[in-house]
Amino acid sequence: MKKNMIAFIATTLILLVFGKNSVFSTTIEFWTTETQSDRLKTIQLLMDTFQALNSGIGVKLVPVDENDMPSLMAAASAAGKLPAVIEASSELLLAFGEEGILNIEDTTKLVMQIGKNRFFEGALKMVETPLFGSFYGLPYHGWVQGIWHRGDWFQMAGLDPPATWEAILKAARAFYKPKNNQYGILIGTKAETYAEQCFTHFALSNGASAFNANGELTFNSPKMLETLEFYAELAKYNPPGPQTWRARDYYLQGKLAMFFYSTYIMDDLALAEVAAGSLTDENFPQLGSGTFDPQLVDNTRVAPTITHIQPAGYGAIVALGLVNQGDKAKNDAARRLVAFLYEPNSYITFLHMAPGGMNPMLRDIARMPEYLNDPKGIFKRYGREKIEEIISGLDNMGSFTIVRGKTFPEAGKIYAKQIIPRMIYAVTIGGMAPKEALAWAEKQMKKVIGK
Amino acid sequence: MNSYLIQTESRLGWKLMAPSVAVIVLLIVYPILYNIYLSFFDVKLTGTKAFIGVANYKKLILDGAFYSSLLTTTIYLAGTVIGTTALGLLVALLMNLRFPLRNIVRTIILLPYFAPVISVVFGWQFIFDPVNGIYNHMVVDVLKLTPVRHNLIGNPKTALLVVIIFDIWKHFPISYLLILAKLQSIDKQQYEAAAIDGCGPIARFFYITLPELYFVLGTVVILRLIWNLNKFEDVFLLAPNVQTLPIYTYYTAFTGIIDQGLAASISVVQFLFLSFLIFFYVKKVLKW
Repeated sequence: MKKNMIAFIATTLILLVFGKNSVFSTTIEFWTTETQSDRLKTIQLLMDTFQALNSGIGVKLVPVDENDMPSLMAAASAAGKLPAVIEASSELLLAFGEEGILNIEDTTKLVMQIGKNRFFEGALKMVETPLFGSFYGLPYHGWVQGIWHRGDWFQMAGLDPPATWEAILKAARAFYKPKNNQYGILIGTKAETYAEQCFTHFALSNGASAFNANGELTFNSPKMLETLEFYAELAKYNPPGPQTWRARDYYLQGKLAMFFYSTYIMDDLALAEVAAGSLTDENFPQLGSGTFDPQLVDNTRVAPTITHIQPAGYGAIVALGLVNQGDKAKNDAARRLVAFLYEPNSYITFLHMAPGGMNPMLRDIARMPEYLNDPKGIFKRYGREKIEEIISGLDNMGSFTIVRGKTFPEAGKIYAKQIIPRMIYAVTIGGMAPKEALAWAEKQMKKVIGK
Repeated sequence: MNSYLIQTESRLGWKLMAPSVAVIVLLIVYPILYNIYLSFFDVKLTGTKAFIGVANYKKLILDGAFYSSLLTTTIYLAGTVIGTTALGLLVALLMNLRFPLRNIVRTIILLPYFAPVISVVFGWQFIFDPVNGIYNHMVVDVLKLTPVRHNLIGNPKTALLVVIIFDIWKHFPISYLLILAKLQSIDKQQYEAAAIDGCGPIARFFYITLPELYFVLGTVVILRLIWNLNKFEDVFLLAPNVQTLPIYTYYTAFTGIIDQGLAASISVVQFLFLSFLIFFYVKKVLKW
């Protein structure tokens, strides 16, 4: 009786632990940074299709916030439960590649298999290892950053578009009317990735970079200090307190003149219902603010290039990374999953989740009529030429990770540790002197890269 | 009882306790011991460890951020423990009086305690949103107390205050429940006798109610101390810029320059700090 009982409990436990995997001979995890529920639904659909086409392979989809990715990967690594495929920014992939957890050999093979020449060169460069010709990940989609602003307000005030430091600061001051609950600009001041993205755009336009061509850390430089001082000045015209990209809602409500954002906003701007779903009078009639303005799309302009001592564009590449599983079956499954995601049908389905925001990394996909005919009609609205102009920006955008065509994976590590966002927070919210903060940041960076 | 019976009974006792002892050892004792062990190592994410003696503790002693976090924790503890106990006592005294619909009011008071943290936190963030929140709307547009809007949660100087008020609001019902239960068991005759002796309501409170509540209040304070020193989710979700010890540990262990050995040593210090606090409180304040 007793033995039977023990046998029963043991069987139940074994079934509980291993039972859920019994349907598939190989199960892998796919971590995505697309955490919005509608996007997850689309990706899940792609995963289901992949599973139907590849019997024996199960894919578990896990949404992970971009800011939490490094800490969750660290925890997963310690627990020996790393995902097989991750979708993350190129900087994070460089950092993970440096930690030695990526399967670079399979990734490079896969780039060749898909066709190296089909990728935009600038995009592939962002994920190249210091050994030319091998890659940390596969560029999957990318966005370009710009200052989106109220063209009508600028025109009425007789101000120049925010394309230079002087014009940006002048406009921010002019439109900052806190007594009317209206603010000049939105730049990142919370210690999150968004702050680094805004800041980098300014730094690049001032010729400031984290490394010199010899690979020496040159973060604490007069040019970087000048950029940080300017950034701190500009932050005075932000909405109160630490801010991140979520405050773009204030723009949709007509309470903000300028904000840094990626081309993802095309989707949000063109679709009034998206805006209506956020904080507006419809939800909070007692707030007495303006309702969503249907003219907002027409009145919105973008300045993708900032010029100070040199013109600079900024954007980001989101890439797929193969994480070494130490198991051939799992590595093969991961490779097949990524190859599947590059097939035109699945690729276009993925990109159409955010037309304009997620731009293709393969030249031929960008020209396909199926791609340009998105279900929300956004490409039609902006026109084919505008879209091609935006995508072409992906070929020549700057970043802290690349100096004169050479990739510095150390910069990816710095990015993963969020040192720059914390420095910006310390200065703009914590009130630390820019000089002191810069010295602190460089000290932290040295610790990270072990120099 | 003969010795055989005593023996079998104690054996049965051990058998009955064994599952819970096993669970406690596995989930509580083992992690604590492993944490103490880790605090003497330089822990790499790849799993390799190097013994470095007390270097983590030395580093901690020299770390300014640690002391500022200790100060934040102390203010947070003092504010929340005193706040929840005082508010709980006040509300319990009120709810002990007779008035119509008392049972409904007693239930409604428990609501903040039941509500899931995450949904309440989002509610509070909406309230304090610098541009659209109802707080700024009231203070700036309706009452015209200040000309410009403030971000109370975002500003590190005021965030601690908001977090303390949030905790008092969310957790006073538990102190209220415990105190009310005791209040209801105080013998009415004591009050009648005191009234005959000429004691007013204030004297009755200080000479009868408070001494009767002594042990309940002691328990409430001790529970709140333990819970709040270890509190993570309320603070982290509402205002991640308020660095109490658990949050400081989290940042050290998982963000920036990841240092899990150092984080382990902070946990050990936090554990010792809590043990000392409770020992001191029980022996010196309560004199149990």
